[in-house]
Amino acid sequence: MALPAAVLHILIALADGDSHGYAIMQEVAARTDGALRLGPGTLYGSLKRMLHDGLIEELDERQGAGRDDARRRYYRITPRGRKTARAEIARLAKLVRQARATTLAVKHS
Amino acid sequence: MHRLYRALLRLYPAEFRDEYGREMAQMVRDRIAREPRARLWIDLLRDLLRTAPKEHAHVLLNDVRYAVRLIRRAPMFTAAVVGTVALAIAANTAIFSVVNAVLLRPLPFAEPGRLIQVAEKNDALGLPNFGASVLNLLSWRERARSVDALSAIGFSSFTLSGLGEPEQLSGNRVSPSLMPLLGLAPVAGRAFTPDEERPGAPPVAMIGEGLWARRFGRDPAVVGRAVTLNGLPVTIVGVAPRALNLISGGDVYVPLTIDPSTEIRLNHVIFVAGRLKPRVTIQQAQAEFDTIAQAVAAAYPEMRDWGVHLLTFFDTFVSAQLKTGLLVLLGAVAFVLLIACANIANLLLSRSASRQKEIAVRVAMGATQSRVLRQLLVESVALSAIGGAIGIVAAVWAVRAINASLPPNLLPVPAVRVDAVVLSFAAGLTLLAGLIFGIAPACYTAKTDVHDMLKHTARPAGGGSGARVRSALAAAELALATLLLVGAGLLLESFLNLQRVRLGFEPRGLLTFQLAPPTSRYPLTDKAPGFYRALLESLRAAPGVRGAAVSSGIPFGQGNYTTSPLQASGPSALPADAAVPIDWRIVSPGYFKTMSIPLLRGRDFSDAEGAGAPAVAIVSQATARKFFGDMDPIGRSLHRAADARPFAIVGVVGDVRSTTLNQESPAIYYPLSTRAWPLMDVVVRADVPPETLLPALRQKVHEIDGELPLATVRTMDEWLSASAAQPRLSATLLGAFAAVAVLIAAIGIYGVIAYSVNQRTREIGLRMALGARPGGVMRLIVKEGMIVAAAGIGAGLAAASLLGRAIASLVYAVPVDDPPTFAGVGLLLALVAFAACAIPARRAARLDPMDALRCD
Repeated sequence: MALPAAVLHILIALADGDSHGYAIMQEVAARTDGALRLGPGTLYGSLKRMLHDGLIEELDERQGAGRDDARRRYYRITPRGRKTARAEIARLAKLVRQARATTLAVKHS
Repeated sequence: MHRLYRALLRLYPAEFRDEYGREMAQMVRDRIAREPRARLWIDLLRDLLRTAPKEHAHVLLNDVRYAVRLIRRAPMFTAAVVGTVALAIAANTAIFSVVNAVLLRPLPFAEPGRLIQVAEKNDALGLPNFGASVLNLLSWRERARSVDALSAIGFSSFTLSGLGEPEQLSGNRVSPSLMPLLGLAPVAGRAFTPDEERPGAPPVAMIGEGLWARRFGRDPAVVGRAVTLNGLPVTIVGVAPRALNLISGGDVYVPLTIDPSTEIRLNHVIFVAGRLKPRVTIQQAQAEFDTIAQAVAAAYPEMRDWGVHLLTFFDTFVSAQLKTGLLVLLGAVAFVLLIACANIANLLLSRSASRQKEIAVRVAMGATQSRVLRQLLVESVALSAIGGAIGIVAAVWAVRAINASLPPNLLPVPAVRVDAVVLSFAAGLTLLAGLIFGIAPACYTAKTDVHDMLKHTARPAGGGSGARVRSALAAAELALATLLLVGAGLLLESFLNLQRVRLGFEPRGLLTFQLAPPTSRYPLTDKAPGFYRALLESLRAAPGVRGAAVSSGIPFGQGNYTTSPLQASGPSALPADAAVPIDWRIVSPGYFKTMSIPLLRGRDFSDAEGAGAPAVAIVSQATARKFFGDMDPIGRSLHRAADARPFAIVGVVGDVRSTTLNQESPAIYYPLSTRAWPLMDVVVRADVPPETLLPALRQKVHEIDGELPLATVRTMDEWLSASAAQPRLSATLLGAFAAVAVLIAAIGIYGVIAYSVNQRTREIGLRMALGARPGGVMRLIVKEGMIVAAAGIGAGLAAASLLGRAIASLVYAVPVDDPPTFAGVGLLLALVAFAACAIPARRAARLDPMDALRCD
């Protein structure tokens, strides 16, 4: 089953390091050239369900201490999260390959 | 701006807000500094609208999952609740679907709110809603500006032949303007043209959709076909839609031709329908018609005392009695639902004790009280939804049964349907029921004090206010059940009274059928009386037949039941010129003997009264008393208000109930030998079971005329049973609902007492250890229950005495505050309550004190 776009973006944003909500949002915006700005409801709603599904974990205060902003909650991608993201990316890549083989893609190539 | 966003955060579920609200607000603060405002707000609002409902849905889904798990863990409890809800929702949905079909759905005409009936009225004669005459219709058409069109409908019967077996059909003569006025189009072929209203137009007819399907298999080729109606060739030009049937059941329509030269202004024989002009109210139209009626009365002295009464189509087709009956039934099922809710609330309350520890744990883990409340309400609504779904399925089935079993013509609609309105009603009611029975137990359970509960030492909050709430609910159940039972009792008594009514004739052993010899071959004043004379002679000769006669309308049948105003032609007990509406019938000699109607004075008709003989009549006792008081009516005369020809009274017969069981109507009988009616009822008294005579009778009829169909063959018992259909149905339904109510209420009070005994086991044990006798314990428990019962029954009886007036129009010969009914219901329910208390009380009395004290 396809992963919601917001979830995949958050996983990608967390792939290279722990981050907090606002930074995740900025990272996603930067990666998409400002096209995708995750709203607070979307972002935290997704984070909540990703926590529940074990795709990410929340760092406790001790781990969070020493970061640039200790008041914020930091999130880290779990091995399960990485696996899920990889599977989704592979699925999308396959989809793109299949699409390229059709006349759909001819005009653009 | 940042503050506004914080306020908007309240749209999210509390849990989500508590968890992430601070961060979300912080994030917005960060973005305000960096992004253009307008765009940020659009982004934020879009985000909010998309995600807030989603978060709520997630919470709800979790609650539902949790509820389902609980429901599956307590199958007995679930079955009890679901079953009760299903029963109540099924009853409510079924009754509401009838109410919807009759009272709420618009009539199947274009803009039905503008359709009216134009009736004539005569206050002096006590006729508030009488037929109209053709000449008055013409006067109204000429002058009325408040209506778009006025159409006439005349009821008629037809013999259809020329297509194999002849068939007798009822039908209507209708103005060609009727179908456009109603906004109806023919299903096939064409409607009548305005020219066809004139006398002398080529004879045409339309057939109803029902006959088209039954007799012609919906063959479009029927249009243009020549058939024989009443012995005359007629062309079928079209098929009329089923909706036209609402105005009067009928299979055949012919144009109502108007020839003013042959009409009498006092001949009130047609139904007039009209369409109000747009934005004209019925009151405005009534005012105009009042003026017109005055002008007509000024021009035609015979119209003195006659006025016009406008009725909405709704009032014309839905009688006040039917409306009351339906609303009473709807009220009754609503009560059943309320009783069911109270009972389930009680069940949930007694369970709340066992739930309290679980709730306390959740509260300790951080669930807020409102969160727990929400969870509990989701549970009760989930229970209710399962019951409701089963109930709706049952209701669909019940509605099918209603359609199949209702006597025709009881409801002014072709069929009751479970439509979108009904389904929404049922769904809404199910939700509401879940909330009603869930709210009190949920509040009570959610209030649980965490510390007390977790300290383990506290007893579950079972006594105190919980017990009071449960007792109050049980009392309320009993009160509602009392109310229903009183209503059912009154309707049942009323129905029994109707069954015991003295009919004035002997219904057993009578077989009836209708004949309509075509007037083209059997003119009414000439050949028809001779035909019936020959027929009766032949019928009387058949084996098993004790007597045979004909009448233009036997009691409770489908003949002609019209009244005409009569005046005395000489001295009378009434003021000079006073007219009284009297039912009239045409009967053959031997009619009274055949029907066992006693001849009190004078003589029966004889075959000697033919054309040329002096006009005679027989009156019923009530008619004689009305006109002549204690004077001997024999030899005196009456005449119709419309013409001066006197009828000399030759006999007086007993009074007969003839159209409704609850009303006696004075009658006058005219001899068949002078004039027949186009459709006559033949009645045969049999020495054998009457149905068995039919083949022989049919043969006798066909020996005289092989073309004549026998229509509406019934025994008199069947007619009587049909006439009591509505009171029987009301009494049966209300009785069934009351029985369910009493059963649920009995379970309710049993539950309360049983629970209380359970809670008080230790106390009871202690009492017994201290020397209380089993009898004393039993008395104690029963007394506790009976106090609740007495309060409930008392309140119910008081409410019944206040609400009784609502069914005053439905009961016959029973006062709505009938003391024996009230006393009987009170006593019955007290006995039921006593039995319900006695079971747990006996269990309490049998407790072993030592076991009881040991129990926790």
